[in-house]
Amino acid sequence: MLTCRDVSSLVIDELCDQAGGRNATVACFYFDFTAQEEQSPTSMLGALLKQLVCGLEETPEEISRAYQGQRNAIGGRGPKLSDIVKMMQTTSSKKCTFICVDAMDECAAGHRVKILDSLNQILERSPGTRIFVTGRQHIRPEIRRCLAGRVASVSISPKRDDIIRYLHSRLREDATPDAMDSSLKADILKKIPEDISEMYVRATILGELPQVIH
Amino acid sequence: MEIDWTALMYPRGFTKDPAFLLPLGTPPPVFELLHYLSIIYDNILNSKKQKMSHQSFSNNTNSLNTTLNLPNATITNSLTLTDDRNNLLRWLSPLDPKLKHHGIQARRVENVGEWLLQTEEFESWDAGSGGSESNNAVLFCYGDPGVGKTYIR
Repeated sequence: MLTCRDVSSLVIDELCDQAGGRNATVACFYFDFTAQEEQSPTSMLGALLKQLVCGLEETPEEISRAYQGQRNAIGGRGPKLSDIVKMMQTTSSKKCTFICVDAMDECAAGHRVKILDSLNQILERSPGTRIFVTGRQHIRPEIRRCLAGRVASVSISPKRDDIIRYLHSRLREDATPDAMDSSLKADILKKIPEDISEMYVRATILGELPQVIH
Repeated sequence: MEIDWTALMYPRGFTKDPAFLLPLGTPPPVFELLHYLSIIYDNILNSKKQKMSHQSFSNNTNSLNTTLNLPNATITNSLTLTDDRNNLLRWLSPLDPKLKHHGIQARRVENVGEWLLQTEEFESWDAGSGGSESNNAVLFCYGDPGVGKTYIR
């Protein structure tokens, strides 16, 4: 209903809408625990760099040189993590840059440390770069540790308006509208937001939000 | 020496008019054109016995461009440039997160979560962009990951 994924996509769209006006580039990445193997530090940061390069009119010389250079190796060779970090440091300082990373907790733990550390190195060289991260609460200490002193946090929980908007949209999609009368509709819109808000308060006290409530 | 242009230009099973292979009125896809041009180009380079002037080559590519309804000669160059850039981008990473973004964007309920954009934390994070201030360059939002099932069934 209101998930981190929704929030990431909302923020990415908002940043993209404004990007033209302030000459900024937005790069995004969605982690997925079913794709942990292919979402390695190099392919993840490479995918961010790729989007930054797309936002520039010309490919930075440093990157074309690295690309031409590896072609001489037998069968070609992918870029190394340290090279990608260097290329990102220069590319992100050329233009106002936003990086959005969704579901950081779904990244394999060993990869995550390397990725957070690389992001920190990028910020050191390009402090105007903004990084937006979502994930479950349990990785918060790790994020704060790796990106020392640069992190602000916000808790995402659906507000009453979000719940009502969501219910309205589900009611509009109702495949059997005849079974719905106005009093049932009114009850749904009144009861569910109340129950959910209460559920959230309890869940927050317990520390972790429930995954499924039937 | 007389050059057999037909053999050079229509090799390996190509018909005389490549557009003939496509449904009427469809422009040929770029990769087919590129493939076609590269075969012709290779053929010309390989036929070392036949000494051809640069002029006769470009005359013939021009006539090819006319058959295919292409804007003139420079197209080969710009195709190569785009192709190079695409190869470079693929080299940087095989992953394409923008595709995933479009999928999620399409499923999102309009305006849900917009309150976040008005929070003080978001506004100050956003306002610091492009500056040299390193404070709170990172905004971490935590909550339900939103995989699979949500709160209401």
